[in-house]
Amino acid sequence: MASSRHPLPIPEVGDRLRAQFGEDVSDAQDQHGHAVVTVTVERYRELITMLRDDPAFGCDYFEFLTAVDLPESNALDVIVHLHSTSIGSNVRVKVRLPRDTPRIPTISDLYAGANWQEREAWELFGVVFEGHPHLVKLVLPEPFEGNPLRKDFVLMSREAKVWPGEVEGEEVEEE
Amino acid sequence: MAVIEKVPVPRPMKFILNWGRRYSLWVMNFGLACCAIEFIAVSDPKHDFIRLGVIPFAHGPRQADLLVVAGTVTDKMAPALKRVYEQMPDPKYVISFGSCSNCGGPYWDSYSVTKGVDQFIPVDVYVPGCPPRPEALLHGIIRLQEKIAKEDIGEKWSGQLSTPSANP
Repeated sequence: MASSRHPLPIPEVGDRLRAQFGEDVSDAQDQHGHAVVTVTVERYRELITMLRDDPAFGCDYFEFLTAVDLPESNALDVIVHLHSTSIGSNVRVKVRLPRDTPRIPTISDLYAGANWQEREAWELFGVVFEGHPHLVKLVLPEPFEGNPLRKDFVLMSREAKVWPGEVEGEEVEEE
Repeated sequence: MAVIEKVPVPRPMKFILNWGRRYSLWVMNFGLACCAIEFIAVSDPKHDFIRLGVIPFAHGPRQADLLVVAGTVTDKMAPALKRVYEQMPDPKYVISFGSCSNCGGPYWDSYSVTKGVDQFIPVDVYVPGCPPRPEALLHGIIRLQEKIAKEDIGEKWSGQLSTPSANP
């Protein structure tokens, strides 16, 4: 068992995915020992299926799905982290979506654990997961309006009272 | 109309009723966050609020006299807390334990946290701190008992004290 716990080297993860998906997938970047690839939304499901079913990756464990709001580039990234309990590989898949109409196919039929995480990303970021069996609010109360984790969401308390602390990054600029 | 609303309650009777009430507070712990751990510390043998007559833990809200809201109440949780409060029989008392349930605390600008439980249930004693030390809750319980000792049962039953003032 111990001898089989050798994940693919990160450049090889990129090479194997490149061989299958060509220009639709980026090279694998090394981020703290995890392979990070960016894929187009059209081939996202195909890539996730390959990571799950190909024994070279063996990603049998779904870690998390989340989103990142990027107003500067008018984009929204959906991030999926997959892990292999047998060979120990970690692959993070990013999909860049347009910020106004973020639509992406669901993977809740591939990984059951993605069901609630997609609901959460839907209510907090407004990402629509096409084909999701039950896309309703999970953690927010039913009357809640808006997507609170989007950066342009207005916090009423901060309208009344300005954030008294330092803005992120300001300390770095002073040095 | 009950007799108690027409005739002033004799002082010895009032004293005995309030004395009994203040030293048998069956407590309902509405623990939602780290403050709940401090609450549990108060119930352990080191701090031990049973010596003040606070009895842990009521089997349910229908058997409880004192509700301790310990932790961060969200707008989604608020209806459940309101329901627990309404299930408790009168006379009932509420201690708001910790900054979160007092006013939102560190989540003052959050989109989901209720900025103070006193928006929807009447609070008798506020215990500040993030989280407060167990001794702070013991102090809060003593302040509540002082408040109960001053209560007039006639006023309470006639509904004039249905929303008790926050200041002891």
